[in-house]
Amino acid sequence: MDEYALGVLTNIGLFSFLALSAYLLLVAGEMSFGQQAFFGVGAYAAGIGTAMWGLPLPVACVVAMALGAAAAWLVGLPTLRLRGLYFAMATLAAAEMFRILFELFHYQRTIDGEPVGPDGTQGFRGIRWVLERGIEQETYLAIVLTVLAAVLVVFAVLERTRLGATVRMVGEDPELAAVLGVNVDRVKLAVAAAAGALAALGGALYAHHNTYIEPRNFDIMLGVHSLAYALIGGLGTAFGPLLGVALDIGLLESTRVFRGYRMIVFGGLVAALLIWRPRGLLDETVVNRIARALRRGSA
Amino acid sequence: MSRSLLAIALVALAAPAFAQRVAADIDCKPTKHDLVYDCRIQIRQARSGEPVTGAEVSVGADMPSMPMAHQVKPVKAKPGTAPGEYAARIELEMYGEWALRLTVRGPVRDVIVKKLEFRER
Amino acid sequence: MLVDLIQNTLDGLMLGSAYALLALGFTLIFGVLRRANLAYGPAIMLGAYAATWVSLRFHAGFLVLALVTIAGAMLAGAYVERLCFAPHGARQSRSGDAAAIAAMVGSFALWMQLEELATLWLPKHLYSFPPLYDGPPLALGPFTLRVEYLAMLACAAAAGFGLHRLLYRTRFGLAVRAVVDHVDAARLVGINVPRVFMLVFALASALGGLAGYLIVAAHEQVTPMLGMWSTLKGMIAMMLGGLGSLPGAVVGGLALGLIEAHSQWLAGPQYRDLIAYLVLFALLALRPSGLWALARRRPEPAAA
Repeated sequence: MDEYALGVLTNIGLFSFLALSAYLLLVAGEMSFGQQAFFGVGAYAAGIGTAMWGLPLPVACVVAMALGAAAAWLVGLPTLRLRGLYFAMATLAAAEMFRILFELFHYQRTIDGEPVGPDGTQGFRGIRWVLERGIEQETYLAIVLTVLAAVLVVFAVLERTRLGATVRMVGEDPELAAVLGVNVDRVKLAVAAAAGALAALGGALYAHHNTYIEPRNFDIMLGVHSLAYALIGGLGTAFGPLLGVALDIGLLESTRVFRGYRMIVFGGLVAALLIWRPRGLLDETVVNRIARALRRGSA
Repeated sequence: MSRSLLAIALVALAAPAFAQRVAADIDCKPTKHDLVYDCRIQIRQARSGEPVTGAEVSVGADMPSMPMAHQVKPVKAKPGTAPGEYAARIELEMYGEWALRLTVRGPVRDVIVKKLEFRER
Repeated sequence: MLVDLIQNTLDGLMLGSAYALLALGFTLIFGVLRRANLAYGPAIMLGAYAATWVSLRFHAGFLVLALVTIAGAMLAGAYVERLCFAPHGARQSRSGDAAAIAAMVGSFALWMQLEELATLWLPKHLYSFPPLYDGPPLALGPFTLRVEYLAMLACAAAAGFGLHRLLYRTRFGLAVRAVVDHVDAARLVGINVPRVFMLVFALASALGGLAGYLIVAAHEQVTPMLGMWSTLKGMIAMMLGGLGSLPGAVVGGLALGLIEAHSQWLAGPQYRDLIAYLVLFALLALRPSGLWALARRRPEPAAA
């Protein structure tokens, strides 16, 4: 497979983490324009971990996830009472604050005679852990997809449990959930932290794929796009956001026919699609139908 | 047997980097077609400054904001006249600041990202 | 020291009037249609690009350019309205509703579309734009006032008063207020609700076009960043002032201008944005109903 195709597939995988993060919050009833901040936190944390502190990648990813969860919790706590556009704007403001903080963040160490580390707007280059171990592009893609698959398995399992049902209920009707004894605030915070960790994991893997990150990578466009992928793909299942990502990055990126017109085509398609399917492609009704068909088939 | 494999795996994961760093200079000149540029790349060993010959170099580009939206398909660079020199023709999607990504394979392996501003004439 | 403070306050108010105009348009759409229009800024940008094209070709005067910007923004706005707000039905009372989200995501898709359209039309990263007024800024004692910014302040004030008169002194305004109060009752009384939505949208686009013209004339340049910038500033100002409130939009816009002007003076451009976002975040966390409601001491809670 050629370098370009590998790159596109890896990007689809990486973006999926962010889209899943937005999806998780949506299922819990909140629309966030700010998941890209945790993607960035994960990227910087993991980059610092491997490039400056000599941590192995798996450990750096765990650290990144912890920091992402903490950051998400910090943002989630003051915004618990907010809904709809209020919550969305609050997350946007928080994410932009994180991005500006990345711009102001300078932390360098001299390694092998060269300065390494985040340098404000100049970015953070030299995240070479993957290169230094001779890990080829195909191998890294396999790693990303494996981690993504593990995440999807967790989603699939949790969907069937009481926890999954509780989260969906909190999303659909929080008053009812509260009446039934669910601590809505605690569930929302937990979901926010999990979504933050998920985004951070994606960011950590992104940083090591790219070897170079800068604050501008984590701007509003990234966040709004990932939210859109989740909404277009559908909120019925975790495969919805993946579908959204694959549609944009996969289909249109690779069809070079649309070069230069890609956004026009994609934008028009999405707007038209939403008229036909306002709840996204794989919304709850479709997923239920598929699930029933599968059950009938196997029964 | 399995214990030694585990040990190797742990060492491989935790081993500090054996640096194969290269440094690169890139200079892109506009051609008579809009948004098409001829780039000359110099690749040398980071420590010694010795030019790196016989490497496989490919040049890709990405816009820093919205990292995956305007990706340019990587092109393989051809060796130039001087040792360590390579040339590639790239086609961008729009003007602005691009992060050029030089992937080096062969005698050394590295990825270098250089940011360049491409302005209309 | 005091001179700087007052100068910054003046600058802030004038900058803020641009934000206020943007916020007024946003608020009209959100207040009446209960939808967030993410394609608002890009529609304005297309209008500004149309004016830039006209300026490059015909070297037109400021009135023509202003009208072209407004017309362009209205045309783009009509396209957005037809494609992603009309099909998703009338306003619902809960903004978290599926149709509202679908409309918003649709407007995001059109945002991408309109931005690409603009950059295909005029691909350069920066175009110079003829200023509104070619002379030196006015001097008022130790203070300088730029004429374009004064024009912006005047237009924002005029827009504010004009809207107030429209809403409270005309039949159309009555219809709009009825729709805002209770959309089903309005329909029952015979008000053509989709037509009201369409006209409100057109009005909001026109205001946006006016804001767009004044902004690019004041900066004397047009860049592709105008789309996102306008949307962002408009939304921030709207939230600061109080979602869905027209006086709030003006207050929010002016407040944002003041915050930015003073922060930039005290700490530089990066901190300027940081402080503005911090204020917005804190306001949303503590008093989401916005500054205007705060000023009138309404004890309303967060709401959806």
